[in-house]
Amino acid sequence: MICRKIYQKNPWSFSQWWRCVYSATVPPSSVADAAARSSSFEMGSLSRVQATIFTNPRTLFFLSNRYEGNALSTSFGIKGCKFTSQTMADLPIGGVVDVPLAQTGEGIAECELLKWFVQEVRDQVEEFQPLCEVQSDKATIEITSRYTGKVLKFLHVPGNIVKVGETLLKMVVDENAFSNQCFEASEVMKVQGSNVSELDVVDLGLRKAKIGGVLATPAVRNFVKQLGVNIEDVHGTGKEGRVLKEDVLSYAASEGILKESSASSAEQYLQGDQKFSDISSAHGWEYEDKTIPVRGFQRAMVKSMTLAAKIPHFHYVDEINCNALVELKASFQKENSDSGVKHTFLPVLIKSLSMALSKYPLLNSCFSDELQEVTLKGSHNIGIAMATPHGLVVPNIKKVQSLSILEITKELSRLQELALANKLSSDDISGGTITLSNIGAIGGKFGSPLINVPEVSIIAMGRIQKIPQFDEDGNVYPASIMTVNIGADHRVLDGATVARFCNEWKLFIEKPELLMLHMR
Amino acid sequence: MAVSQTRNLGLPLINLLRLKGVPILQQLHLEERLLRTSSDNWCIINDGTIDPTIVMGISGKPQELLEIESILRDDIPVIRRFTGGGTVIVDQGTIFVTFICNKDAVPGLQSYPQPIMSWSSLLYKKVFQGIEISGFARMIDYASCTAVVLSDYVLGDRKFGGNAQSITKNRWVHHTSFLWDYEISNMGYLKLPKRAPEYRQARDHLEFICRMKDYISRSSFIDRTIEAVGSEFLLRSAELEDAHCTLGSKFEPSSRLLRKQELGEAIFKSLTASQS
Repeated sequence: MICRKIYQKNPWSFSQWWRCVYSATVPPSSVADAAARSSSFEMGSLSRVQATIFTNPRTLFFLSNRYEGNALSTSFGIKGCKFTSQTMADLPIGGVVDVPLAQTGEGIAECELLKWFVQEVRDQVEEFQPLCEVQSDKATIEITSRYTGKVLKFLHVPGNIVKVGETLLKMVVDENAFSNQCFEASEVMKVQGSNVSELDVVDLGLRKAKIGGVLATPAVRNFVKQLGVNIEDVHGTGKEGRVLKEDVLSYAASEGILKESSASSAEQYLQGDQKFSDISSAHGWEYEDKTIPVRGFQRAMVKSMTLAAKIPHFHYVDEINCNALVELKASFQKENSDSGVKHTFLPVLIKSLSMALSKYPLLNSCFSDELQEVTLKGSHNIGIAMATPHGLVVPNIKKVQSLSILEITKELSRLQELALANKLSSDDISGGTITLSNIGAIGGKFGSPLINVPEVSIIAMGRIQKIPQFDEDGNVYPASIMTVNIGADHRVLDGATVARFCNEWKLFIEKPELLMLHMR
Repeated sequence: MAVSQTRNLGLPLINLLRLKGVPILQQLHLEERLLRTSSDNWCIINDGTIDPTIVMGISGKPQELLEIESILRDDIPVIRRFTGGGTVIVDQGTIFVTFICNKDAVPGLQSYPQPIMSWSSLLYKKVFQGIEISGFARMIDYASCTAVVLSDYVLGDRKFGGNAQSITKNRWVHHTSFLWDYEISNMGYLKLPKRAPEYRQARDHLEFICRMKDYISRSSFIDRTIEAVGSEFLLRSAELEDAHCTLGSKFEPSSRLLRKQELGEAIFKSLTASQS
């Protein structure tokens, strides 16, 4: 059959098949990643699995078992089907699957369910049939089904907000759906738009693995192993010559390995197997622990925070009136003639920070425990904490004391684009002397930040909020107030120094015209 | 002639439908019909609509988004469209550009909201190329140093075009209403939305939007848009009759005009909610 031929030639070429196979349900990168992983049967880059866990929970199982055969002999304690422990041969169905709301685009965390296209429990659903329509921000998107089967239970009603990864509905998947699957990508490519029920879908979870030239589920293979039978001797009666459990049973019986009368003991065997077939057809992964090795940016964070924990921190909190800053930014933007430049608050905050540091250089220093000395750093290399899809990273702008606000704006945008693309150089992220964290842009009033070793201070800025304030005459006026929290190393800095430094910085922000006094 | 033909080889075909002053409800019905029953790619440009009309997204709640009493008093029609997104008020100063494409029409484009917006913003960037405009760029929120999702078309930090999409199994629609010009008084019918992109920063409408006419002429915008589309597709001029010909007979569009009664009920809902 075409299936087998191509498999033997090129078993793991998954280049573009995902696009045909998965419509709006699985984002391409995750499936391609999953494909790459399955081809090497390794755990590697599980950090990426994080994002894909919701889209393809089955993948996790696949990855956590390096050894295809032995893995199934461990018990998972998973809630499988709700069916009796009959052999698979007796029941024409597979198991229950949870259909999650898959990722519909970067940055979208939740969608509103608008309407269902299937109405009742027990409605038949074909693979790629639209299941429901959701709305995310500006787009209405049809979610299509990954499986062929029947609706078991709706978990949401129209109007509900569903988080990405949450289960939308439970389905009972057809047994036939499974027997049609094998890993051949090219079969998939041909079927676009044609008869879906005969589509061979690649599912990197627990589908029947076609290895060694015989089609059979891992459960069946395991059973065969337990019986000490060679699977190649068993004549398969399933689709495309697939070996089913009853084939093994009848073969074993005919070979006298298992007497027909001891079918009950065989059932016991199969009861154990039922769990595996449950696994092969259903998944209750949502209650399983997920282990993610620490990689990349997260590993760097572990290291630096462990070191930061050794520093005796104290935190100083203050509020800054940003009315002048808001006006300044508006004025910059108004006179802006460069289409590539967008003015925000941060560059002014950075430049004024540098001005304040010139007066209080102790905050721009570095402490060495072994040598028991403090080095006052000559350059103000101000680090900006950035939350990227890859994790927390802190690139720094070098020599801020010599840069103009416009130059800072451009450099900031350069670093940010690199950060988002995960292309920061080691020079960009090292050599920082103080860090700014604008957590307020995401939320929160103020945080208590941890110092970025080997620096001695860090500044967390909360959200700018418009609140009423009293002026000198006792009149109420609206003020844009930002709360800042300065974390400092108490071995080097004391409260008084930090307080004075903060007052100086605050002065430059509240009266930016004073920056001109220092203009050269 | 031969040269231009060679250049166009391999580009996907798109039907270009130019309209002027077509009522927005009719346009929405047409778009939804083409999305669900046609298998061609379409680009619809509607140069202004006749009466000022409010168009809400598919799940917009009137009591939260609209000043219903003024709307009822002034008899402004309110439509709920079939795509997601926010609320706009459109009139003769609005230019509509809609793309209805097959999933694989644009090579390499994934049919999710962000990639589609990304593609269209590149297309419109071509339209504004060379014109002295500040900040027509990807919506990266520099203050937070994270990329926010692409949402609106902005000049500087002011919105000049709102857009929405609908993505089905094999096709998608991405439509935009461009504020070439607007009436200040009309903006008074819209409330400040609860859900707004970060860059809006609680600005009210007049401080948040801007007029495209300050930068480019109407005909120039439309011509340049057509040119930009022509660089990615093979254009085929279509007429309104062509659009209707390809359509199936049994189709019920879901964009609809809200009845006065519904708007009245919405006021009631908001009043009782505030009382409880």
